[in-house]
Amino acid sequence: MSATTEAAIPAEAEPPRRPGTLSRLVREPAAAFALVLVTIVIGAAVLAPILAPTDPYDNDLAQAMAVPGVPGLPLGADAQGRNMITRLLYGLRITLLMGLASVVLGGGIGALVGFAAAFYRRIDGILMRLMDVMLSFPAILFGLALAAIFGPGIPAVVLALSVATVPLMARIVRGSALAVMGLDYIEAARATGMSDRRIILRHVAPNCLSSIFVFATLRFGQVILLGSALSFLGLGAQPPTPELGAMASDGRNFLFFAPHIAVIPCVAIFAVVLAFNVLGDALRDALDPRLRV
Amino acid sequence: MGRHAAQRLLLAIPVLFGVVLVGFLLMQVVPNDPALVRAGPSATPDVIAAIRADLGLDRPLHEQFGLYLWRLLQGDLGVSIINNVPVVQELGATVGPTLELMFASLIWSIPIGIVLGTAGAYWRGRIADRVITALAVAGGSIPVFFLGLVLIWYVGFKLQLLPFTGRAGPLWTWEGLKAIALPALTLGGTFIGPVARMTRTAVLDVLGVEHVRTARAKGLGEFRVVTRHALRNALIPVVTLIGLQIGFLLGGAVVTETVFSWPGVGRLAVGAILSADFPMAQGTIIVLSLGFILINLTVDVLYAALDPRMRAA
Repeated sequence: MSATTEAAIPAEAEPPRRPGTLSRLVREPAAAFALVLVTIVIGAAVLAPILAPTDPYDNDLAQAMAVPGVPGLPLGADAQGRNMITRLLYGLRITLLMGLASVVLGGGIGALVGFAAAFYRRIDGILMRLMDVMLSFPAILFGLALAAIFGPGIPAVVLALSVATVPLMARIVRGSALAVMGLDYIEAARATGMSDRRIILRHVAPNCLSSIFVFATLRFGQVILLGSALSFLGLGAQPPTPELGAMASDGRNFLFFAPHIAVIPCVAIFAVVLAFNVLGDALRDALDPRLRV
Repeated sequence: MGRHAAQRLLLAIPVLFGVVLVGFLLMQVVPNDPALVRAGPSATPDVIAAIRADLGLDRPLHEQFGLYLWRLLQGDLGVSIINNVPVVQELGATVGPTLELMFASLIWSIPIGIVLGTAGAYWRGRIADRVITALAVAGGSIPVFFLGLVLIWYVGFKLQLLPFTGRAGPLWTWEGLKAIALPALTLGGTFIGPVARMTRTAVLDVLGVEHVRTARAKGLGEFRVVTRHALRNALIPVVTLIGLQIGFLLGGAVVTETVFSWPGVGRLAVGAILSADFPMAQGTIIVLSLGFILINLTVDVLYAALDPRMRAA
């Protein structure tokens, strides 16, 4: 489960590098709350197989649409009689993994493009025009097009969200890399005969990390919102996969008899996105005030 | 201004090409042979070959691309696999309702967002600002379908106040208004937060500027200072930023249309993709992209035309 632990990096591994960030973050009540919520959500997603009382696909039709609070089912059961707590835990796991994959893939490629554009000025123009072209499309259109080409499913959604993330990350990284490269010590590193790769890896990239983390945190919330919307439309995770958007879509059919089936995953998405947005805003204020919009 | 607009127009060319190319590729990866699908299960090989020739499927790829471009220019987007209706005809019927929904959502959410954002900037750091900012962040984090389902459940089902499926008529009729109320509340509701946030930032920038200080110094009332001198100058960036949020709005519209069975392009697109109706999916994606590019271009040019500072640059 190493992939999921990476999501914790912006929140938890950041402070040791710059002491004081965490304490500044915690002083803001909303940010402290968001940090706690993010930690709980990530913990729940990672530990889902241990915490969940049942298998996510186990159903008991006798319990179908059981309302929250029934003995043994604190959050009730869905229309197939599957325990909602289990579905929620696995739903968080799959939704977060979907978001993480998109941010890591799209953000990684975007960062590479950004560094390349900042470092090799000859290809800067063409790279950034390409990014402008990609920015011309909203994520929903990538989602529709890729679902049409590859067929609905999680891979199509992850690909669409990654593609939509690349140009945004490229712009941020290029901007902050350019600012760093204007500084004297880069000139000094060049003068000592360091290779380009070494300069980028040792001197430019570490100084862009805070911008990258801030943006990745904010983007994570947006990606989850978009990804769950695509799943809700039926273009992403397919039932019976426990993914929060797909669960909400399933619950929509029983809205008038058993609203909890739709409401629980909806609230979960809302809470996760809100927590990442608040945390991202606070991280930005604490680490990188330049990014403030 | 001319240069800026020309630059944007120039950028639109590769973007347009990209859209057209993706549309073409979409038809290339179709798992089933379009000629077979068009001909039906009982067709003889002769008929299939004739259709293949008619569709240009027997020619090399670059010729097919040329043919596709030529048909596109003539407004021929093919025929739905599912019901044999021309794609253009279905699109013609759905573009109106989508624009209607966007209009009905923006008409109330933009003013509210601007008022909230201005109030937040004016009372910067005070309780009012914090509450408004918190609401804006929360509003930007809520899934569109959550808001829609809550409204359907409470207003539509519990209170039985408003209908929540489909369109009942044009906006100027009472029935039409009632039918669009919940979809417009849903889509507009998710748009208030971003508008308020952007307005707050723009007004904050302007409030510190000298002419606002001058207006205060000459004894103008606070309301007049904020509305006439600060907000008015902040409106240009706000208009642009709202224009750039059209993509966000489009995503929300697709979801809203699906939740409320609103007969728009978004719902048509999702339905076509789910039923593997490739010509229809291709047509809807091309039209949505073109519409989006057109709106962005208009906003860009308007921005240049509105802002005298851009003209000088």
